Amino acid sequence: MLDLAMLALVAISFAFAAAYARFCSGLLAPGTGRDGSS
Amino acid sequence: MTTVGWLQIAIFAAAIGLLTRPLGGYLARVYAGERTPLQPLLGPLERALYRFAGIKAESEQNWLQYTLSLLIFHALAIAALYALLRLQSVLPLNPQDLPSVSPDLALNTAVSFVTNTSWQSYGGETTLSYLSQMAGITVHSFLSAASGIAVAIALIRGFARRQSSTIGNFWVDLTRGTLYVLLPICVVAALFLVTQGVPQTLAPSIQATTLEGASQTIARGPVASQEVIKLLSGDGGGFFNVNSAHPFENPNPPANFVELLLIFTLGAALTNCFGRMVGSERQGWSLLAVMAILFSLGVAGIYASEAGGNPALTSLQSAGTSDTQLAGGNMEGKEVRFGVAGSALFADVSTASSDGAVNSMHDSFLPLSGGILLANMMVDEVIVGAPGSGLFGMLLFCIVAVFLAGLMIGRTPEYVGKKIGSSEVKMTILALIAVPLATLGLTAVACVVEPGLAGLGNARPHGYSEILYAYTSAAATNGSAFAGLNANSPFYNLTLALAMFVGRFFVIVPVLAVAGSLAAQTIIPRSSGTLPTDRALFVAFLFGVIVIVGGLTYLPALALGPIVEHLQLLHVTLY
Repeated sequence: MLDLAMLALVAISFAFAAAYARFCSGLLAPGTGRDGSS
Repeated sequence: MTTVGWLQIAIFAAAIGLLTRPLGGYLARVYAGERTPLQPLLGPLERALYRFAGIKAESEQNWLQYTLSLLIFHALAIAALYALLRLQSVLPLNPQDLPSVSPDLALNTAVSFVTNTSWQSYGGETTLSYLSQMAGITVHSFLSAASGIAVAIALIRGFARRQSSTIGNFWVDLTRGTLYVLLPICVVAALFLVTQGVPQTLAPSIQATTLEGASQTIARGPVASQEVIKLLSGDGGGFFNVNSAHPFENPNPPANFVELLLIFTLGAALTNCFGRMVGSERQGWSLLAVMAILFSLGVAGIYASEAGGNPALTSLQSAGTSDTQLAGGNMEGKEVRFGVAGSALFADVSTASSDGAVNSMHDSFLPLSGGILLANMMVDEVIVGAPGSGLFGMLLFCIVAVFLAGLMIGRTPEYVGKKIGSSEVKMTILALIAVPLATLGLTAVACVVEPGLAGLGNARPHGYSEILYAYTSAAATNGSAFAGLNANSPFYNLTLALAMFVGRFFVIVPVLAVAGSLAAQTIIPRSSGTLPTDRALFVAFLFGVIVIVGGLTYLPALALGPIVEHLQLLHVTLY
């Protein structure tokens, strides 16, 4: 049970980091690789 | 202080200077995908790895794809290492029949080694099986270092490329860094350490009988292979609890010198790699000059403080109340074979570089020296740093410096031909603020809650310094400790894991965003209005920015710990 809780913590942390990357993407100026495809 | 001591430090600095250019050139070739002398040997293996993993080596990624690849890789790496530690009791290569690691310690250790921190809330020889040491700790030392270098290279590409939507391929950078950079150096250096007496065996510990007739367990294992990557990777997590102070990890002064070189070499060479990739080696030398100044001040301060001895003991001597003989300075917690100079140099290199390996006990350093060790980590370990993270940390400070200079002279800031706009500054500030938030926030919490105070080994200012050191070390991905703090508790294991996570990924994500933003720009030709960033003036300015930003952020925290403790020590008050 504790193992599942620990692994869930890891998953949540990385989901948060991925969301942070999206947040940073939104802060970049348009036309400078904002969504990574320009 | 002795002439031999200073000579030791000078020879080390000169050796790093000599290695920087050739290794920097090699790194530039490796990450440009060019042919290297090791291509015939490792090329087939590299291609086989790509085929096995389904990676198209020629296909590049934009910054978001690069970041998500990195995050997915690290998430899987933490889960794999966690599982290995939890299952070690039923897995092979466990001759001491060690039990599995507890859940909170396993999580802390997994996050620690995957984030290139190597904070150890455990003693290696009494906690981890050989399989956990080799397939867990050693493997992730390689991979975390290769990841750090990959991020730095991606940022360099951001500066070097013009109007590019991509910054490289994370999987290719990870593979090439591991195969062509880390592995060859480790093989050669591990063989050297074996010649010096470092064990490399899968045989169990030895039960010896001492001269007094007592029984003693002498731990050994696959030490040499882990020792080298521990130092080269900037990871620092030792096979033994006392790390490089143990004679089986670091047997003599020649081994100590090579270990110091291993810690600093790659980080220093990356500055030259940066200069080459942006088309001006002088840019790289100017970064190395700032690192050299900060390093010199640190090592001189620590050496002077430790060689001066403990003022409390000195005052007792002069009052005639003690017959204690000071053997050349503060030798508490230091190995006689390294002495004060060798210990001071190792401590400065270890905290400046983000490695965190120790050949002496940092908790026994005098308060001023301890304060310098803390300060080294607090400036985001830009003084060479770990491979990759030191360089991208320094480049973040360069962005702040040119931005401030631009405000002063009323011109648009530029750095190596790239305009520093609001996007880059926002990302830079996000990256620079992550470590102080984690460090100071979690230190404050630990200082007021019962589980935090329960781990203290010392009272008052020194106890506070122990907590501050722990979170600074974790968030700066250093891993060294003021070992008076007992951090193997659920509270410290989980909060330090959080600090390591934030200190690694909440810096890397905005750094890669900066890389993507810069790569999309064109390169502005140098003009008479361009601030020269390869001259002494910029070196001095960048140095000032690092010191001021670091000072404004951390001076109050330092004042409550090492500075108060130093002043109390002058009045012979000890903690």
